[in-house]
Amino acid sequence: MEDEIFEQRTDLSKLSAAVEQIKATLAKIIVGQHDSIDLLIAGILADGHILIEGVPGVAKTLTAKLIAKSIDAKYSRIQFTPDLMPSDILGTSVFNPKTTNFEFKHGPIFGNIILIDEINRAPAKTQSALFEVMEERQLTIDGQTYKMEEPFTVLATQNPVEHEGTYRLPEAQLDRFIFKIEIKYPSLDEEIAILTQQHNQKTTDQLKHIQPVLTAQDVVSLRRVVLGLHVEEKILVYVAKIVHESRNNKSLYLGGSPRASLAIINAAKALAAIKGRDFVTPDDVTYVAAPVLRHRIMLTPDKEMEGVTPDDVVAQIIQKIEVPR
Amino acid sequence: MHKFIPPFVLTLLIALFLVSTKAAPVKKKLPAKVSIDTTKIAVKKFDANAIKKYKRDKEFNYTGEAVGQPSLWERFWNWLWDKILSLFGRIPFIGPIFKYLLLGLAIALLTYVIFRSLGIDAMQLLRGDAKKIDLAYTESLENIHEMNFDAEIEKAISQHNFRLAVRLLYLKCLKQLSDKNLIQWQIDKTNAAYVYELADPVQKQTFGLLTRQFEYVWYGNFFIDKDIFSNINLLFQNFKNHLP
Repeated sequence: MEDEIFEQRTDLSKLSAAVEQIKATLAKIIVGQHDSIDLLIAGILADGHILIEGVPGVAKTLTAKLIAKSIDAKYSRIQFTPDLMPSDILGTSVFNPKTTNFEFKHGPIFGNIILIDEINRAPAKTQSALFEVMEERQLTIDGQTYKMEEPFTVLATQNPVEHEGTYRLPEAQLDRFIFKIEIKYPSLDEEIAILTQQHNQKTTDQLKHIQPVLTAQDVVSLRRVVLGLHVEEKILVYVAKIVHESRNNKSLYLGGSPRASLAIINAAKALAAIKGRDFVTPDDVTYVAAPVLRHRIMLTPDKEMEGVTPDDVVAQIIQKIEVPR
Repeated sequence: MHKFIPPFVLTLLIALFLVSTKAAPVKKKLPAKVSIDTTKIAVKKFDANAIKKYKRDKEFNYTGEAVGQPSLWERFWNWLWDKILSLFGRIPFIGPIFKYLLLGLAIALLTYVIFRSLGIDAMQLLRGDAKKIDLAYTESLENIHEMNFDAEIEKAISQHNFRLAVRLLYLKCLKQLSDKNLIQWQIDKTNAAYVYELADPVQKQTFGLLTRQFEYVWYGNFFIDKDIFSNINLLFQNFKNHLP
C-alpha cells in the first residue's frame, strides 16, 4: 500500500539482495541468533569494527568466520595469546643481507576482514597496537605510514571478562568497536535444532561449501550508499540526548563519547538500509543503542554490586528521552 | 706457662733499651716562635632600627596584653549575645535554650537554601516518598490529550504544510487508540512499540501501514502535496471508522 503513495528514492535492491543472501547462507549453519546476525551485517555496512562476546561454545568464532567467508576479500585470523607482541600483529622491519636494507614484513593485520579470536587474552600492550589501525585505518611504523585497503573491518571475539586468563580491554580500544554483540546460550528448541542439523550434515567442516556473496568492492560501494541515507535533525537531537544523558546518569561513571553518538547514527542508517528504508526512524536508534553503548559505558561500583547491567541502564536512559514525533 | 719473667731476661731487656736510646741520633731543638694573629675583627652591633621594628610588631610581643584578646568582631558578637541573653536572664535555663534554638533555626535556613539551590523538594524528602519520584522525562512541548487536533490540522492544510498535517493525523490516531485503551501512551515508546501493542491483528496491520506513511513523511522527508495528503488522510479516516 505504501508503495502506491511513496516511491523509493534510493536503490537499495542490491543491498537487500546481498543481505538476504548472507542471512540465508548463515542460516544453513547458525541456528537462531537472528538479532546478532542483523547487527553483524549492520556493523559491516556501517564501516565499523565488531566485538562479539559470549561464553565458550556459543559459536562466536564460527559466526564471525561465516560472515568473513561470505565476503570475497583478504581474510586474516589472529589468535590472541598472553605472549603475543605488537610486531606479531602489525609486522616488523627485517634486515635483508642481499640489499643491505631493512624491509617491512607486513603482519596479519594487513587484510580486509580481520578475525581476532579471543582478543582479551592479550595484555594491554598488545591491545594498544590496534589503536591507530582501528581508528585511522593506517599504521605508522619506523616513521613510515601504511594505509589499509578498503574495506577494513576487525571482527573480534572475546570471553566475558570474569573468565580465567582474560584481561579487560582498554576503554580507548572498546570505544573503537561500533557494536558489542552478546551471544547468549541457545534456547532448548534451538539447541535441539543445532544437534539435529549437525547430525544430519555428518561433517565437521561446516565452512567447506560457503560461497562468497559480496566482493570487497561491493562492500565499499554499499557502505557509500548507507552513508548517504537521510537522517532528520530531530533524530540527530534524539541520539545526542541519549548519549548526553549517559554522561549524567547516576548509575554510570563513564558515559558515551561523541564517537558513540556517531556510531549510533551510522548503525541506525545501516539498519534502516537492511529494512529497505533510506531514512532513519527512532526505532532504528533504540534498536542499536544498547549494542553501541554497552561496552562504552561503565557502571558505578555500587550498581555493579547490585547486579545492574549496562543494558538495564541504557533502557532506563531511553525511557527518559521523549521519542521525536 | 711461666707466670714470671726470669730476672736475667729482664736485665737484658733493660740493658738493650738503654743502649738503643743512646744510639739514636739526637735532633737539635729549634727556638720557640710566637705567631701573632693579625686578622682584623669587625665588631658587629645590633641594628637599632631593626630592634625597634621588631618591638613594634605585635607578633613578637610575647608579654603584652594582645595575646588571647577577642577581636572587634568577636567583641561585637559577645556584646550581642549578652544583650539577647540579658532579656531572658530572669528565667532560669531560657538563655542557653534560646541560644541553641537560634543556632538550630540558622542551620535549618542554611539547609533550606542549599536544597532550593540544588532543586530538591525538601518537603517530599520529609514525607518519606522519595523513592516514588517519577522518571525525569524530558519536558514534552505537546500533550496529545490537550491538543485540538481538528483545528491544528485545518490550520496546517490551509498553510499547505501537509507534512505537519500528516504528523497531526498520526498523533490524533495515537490519542484515539489511547482513549480506547488499545495502547498505553508514553513519551518514550516508539512507533513500532505502539504497533506491537495492538492486540487485534487487523488493527495491527492497518496501523502498521499508517505508521509507515507517517514515517516516510515525517522522518523520511518524502515529498507530499495535496493529492498525496488526501490519500493518506483517507487511510487514517478509514482506520478511525473501523475502531471499536
